[in-house]
Amino acid sequence: MGIEAYLFVSVALFALGIICIVSRRNILYVLMGIEMILNASSINFAAFNRFNGGGIDGQMFVIFIIILAAAEAAVALAIVLNVFHLFHSVKPSEADLLRE
Amino acid sequence: MLLLNDVHTTGISLLAPELILVATSLLVLAMDLIWKERNSSRLGWISIAGLGLAAFVLLLAFQKEPDHAFGIVRVDRFGNFFKLFTCAALAVVMFFVMQDRRERKHRIGEYYFLLLGAGVGIFFMVGTNNLLLLVLGLELLSLASYALAGFHKGEKRSAEAAMKYIVFGGLSAGVMVYGISLLYGLTGTLDLAVMASATGEDLPRSLATAITQSPGAVAVAMVLILGGFSYKISVAPFHFWAPDVYEGAPTPVTTFLAVASKAAGFGALLRFIAVLFMNPDAAEAVQDYGLQMGSLIALLAAVTMTIGNLAALRQESVKRMLAYSSVAHAGYILVGVTAMNTEGFEAAMFYLVAYYLMNLGAFGFLLYFAGETGEETYESLNGMGRKSPVIGVSMVVFLVSLTGLPPMVGFLGKWKLIQAIQGVNDGQYLWLAMCLVLNSVVSLYYYVRVAKHLFLKEPGERSLKPAPALTGLLVVLAVLNLFFMLYANPIVEWTNASFDLVSSAE
Repeated sequence: MGIEAYLFVSVALFALGIICIVSRRNILYVLMGIEMILNASSINFAAFNRFNGGGIDGQMFVIFIIILAAAEAAVALAIVLNVFHLFHSVKPSEADLLRE
Repeated sequence: MLLLNDVHTTGISLLAPELILVATSLLVLAMDLIWKERNSSRLGWISIAGLGLAAFVLLLAFQKEPDHAFGIVRVDRFGNFFKLFTCAALAVVMFFVMQDRRERKHRIGEYYFLLLGAGVGIFFMVGTNNLLLLVLGLELLSLASYALAGFHKGEKRSAEAAMKYIVFGGLSAGVMVYGISLLYGLTGTLDLAVMASATGEDLPRSLATAITQSPGAVAVAMVLILGGFSYKISVAPFHFWAPDVYEGAPTPVTTFLAVASKAAGFGALLRFIAVLFMNPDAAEAVQDYGLQMGSLIALLAAVTMTIGNLAALRQESVKRMLAYSSVAHAGYILVGVTAMNTEGFEAAMFYLVAYYLMNLGAFGFLLYFAGETGEETYESLNGMGRKSPVIGVSMVVFLVSLTGLPPMVGFLGKWKLIQAIQGVNDGQYLWLAMCLVLNSVVSLYYYVRVAKHLFLKEPGERSLKPAPALTGLLVVLAVLNLFFMLYANPIVEWTNASFDLVSSAE
């Protein structure tokens, strides 16, 4: 299997992540979309590392992306929980105090 | 063991400023637990002392030759400049936290801890050629900023600001990481210097080879990475988060985001472009590519400053006006980046120093009046300048500087930007210089409006409590705004000496 297959999956995942962020009204789906984008880049790094050969730069990056995603999810869920307490909703459209 | 010691002690001594910040942040957290709520301002002084110590170490290291620590941290004067800038900005922000009358006193140690953590992130972000460390520093800064934006947990606006910030931040970080993964695939390395200087067809490949082999993929990667940077420096079309987050976040945090975080984004962006595209012995393909990126950035700069200024005209909240004004200023600074030469980058760095002086002043002013009146509208400022003339007059100085009129340092900043841009490619960017001047004229309207409400409207019944420490700081900043216009040499020499990326790129 060539690198094209991996790249295809990663591009598809990236596009799905963007679509998920843009189209969903629920903040939790938006966060999932962000995770999908990060995982798409993980696939890229692992695949490039394998096919470019030599070094572990790409694999290192994958490990750090996993850590980043976990940290970001922790902070994001804490913030969303706080928003839920105050607005009784997890839809960004219903938290709209800040506007023009 | 001996070998280990040799390698690690030199590496660690080069990282002294970062380690000082980490130690200070842990100390603050521990002291917060021990002292509980009794000594909240003492924690602030500990943090400022830590920042002062880090700044002192940085000043001592300024003259040293560029060096590496652990292979990926680059210790050079360029990084040194932005680290000193961060220390200075963070110290003022912490002072604001102590002076903020609306700040909760409970668990205030976390505030300083998060600010210092963000500072560590900035230090790594501006001090590396390695894209992995760049992303990690950026994320450390971002994660701390998300938490800071939502620091007032019970306040709806603060919570909403944090939510909007993390959605936009997470998206743009993801997009940037994806762009970096493509760049890694094309060149086989994460090190910018290697990308710029590698030779031959084998991996790691140089960017020049990648550009000739697959120009489309490089373009996609560059656009995605630029998108990530644009979010951090609030450049259109990634500026949507800025007004909402700036308005909803506590004022000291807004100050931090507008000054320190933005400067860090610019530091990383300048290094990224300078190391990749501005090396004098780089291949022609790369230099051409850099010039094309210059025209893209010119477009972004023009759109950003225009959007920022036009939106600022319509605001009724001074804080939101300052948010849009900071978007516009990001556009001005990008003008220096457009030039794609040493002079332009030095002008951008000079403008950042000017931006520091005038914007910290404006936010300090806002902090004082919002703390007194509980509001941030233009109307709440009515006649306040007459009641509190010293702060009022200082604010007028900052406003004149922000507009870019003489005799304030903001004028000199814009002058340098225009000077850097006008000669590029036989005046290719004269339109951008015109755009900058016209935008400054537009901005005059909303800046003067603040002065009008301060001095020409009838004052209300409300009386103001004096804040001697904050007033003193504002006066110092106002005097510096004037002083550095008349005697700009120290800053000019500092920025010129600091930009050592192009000559030192081996």
